[in-house]
Amino acid sequence: MINDEYFLAALRLAAGNDPMPGHVSAAARDAYGLRVPQAVTAAPAECAAPHGVRGIDGCQLVRFVAAGLTFDLEVTVGDGLIDVAGQIVPHPGEGTHVDVRTPHLTLTRRLARTGQFAATGLPPGWLSVVCHRPGHAPVQTRWVRIRP
Amino acid sequence: MQEPRDPAELLKAAADDDQTAWDELESRFGPRMWAVARVCGLTEADAADAVQGAWLRLLEHLHDIREPSGVGAWLATTTRREALLILRKELPRAPFFDVALDSDPAAAVLEADSSRILWRTVSTLHEPCRTLLQLVATDLGYQQVALRLGVPLGSVGPTRTRCLEKLRTLISSQETVQ
Repeated sequence: MINDEYFLAALRLAAGNDPMPGHVSAAARDAYGLRVPQAVTAAPAECAAPHGVRGIDGCQLVRFVAAGLTFDLEVTVGDGLIDVAGQIVPHPGEGTHVDVRTPHLTLTRRLARTGQFAATGLPPGWLSVVCHRPGHAPVQTRWVRIRP
Repeated sequence: MQEPRDPAELLKAAADDDQTAWDELESRFGPRMWAVARVCGLTEADAADAVQGAWLRLLEHLHDIREPSGVGAWLATTTRREALLILRKELPRAPFFDVALDSDPAAAVLEADSSRILWRTVSTLHEPCRTLLQLVATDLGYQQVALRLGVPLGSVGPTRTRCLEKLRTLISSQETVQ
């Protein structure tokens, strides 16, 4: 039955009854401003808890690895906003900062000596963290979708 | 008037800091990506996420798309993959989408950007299928469809199923021929 619905949706779309909303097009164009030149992209990796699972308190745990760095992100959605508590190991070195980014808002944080950082009050949707180390190419996590 | 740039050229220009090339990619392929996301059964909000996700993936791969001339198909496939991931999260008990996404000819029709072919095929169907599919595609309720076709209300659902099956068979045979 679902295949019928799927086929009907194709017919409706082909009939031009479901045009793309303007805000979707605008968001796609704005996304170009989010590129990070020369960045290395950190891919998702297995962590102690399976990737992307929700923790016991409703938080989501995700791990990314690249360029010898491991990003552990604990993401919590509460009151319609996202809080991120993260750690980069090993510590990338003195003078490192991270950008916690969504398409609409970027929060910049210095790393603690433990490699930890936190950012709160981000809008739900796509999220990425970029690590800027002096003398090295930036490392960015893949974009991950966070919704309640 | 300037010739439209081909997709490979647009991709290269976008990788070289040309926002106009990115915008041109968006205007050329965005509507198809939207259609792919919606055909997967996503709501408008989730479809918007899937489309944006695909553009963000392109940002991650601006310099390493294997076939730059096929960036349109890459975007459609990536949108479908993001849509599937969203569906899995929203509807963890809906494995049927795996099958639908991989095998349903409607996906191929959309990705080939050939809605014209879809409607041309509908126009080759006999009545009442031709009219019925045109009516249901405009979101008319069963009651309206029954009135327009002059058939009992109870027969619209089964007839619709039969007509879709005929359409599916015809589309599949075209795919096979191609």
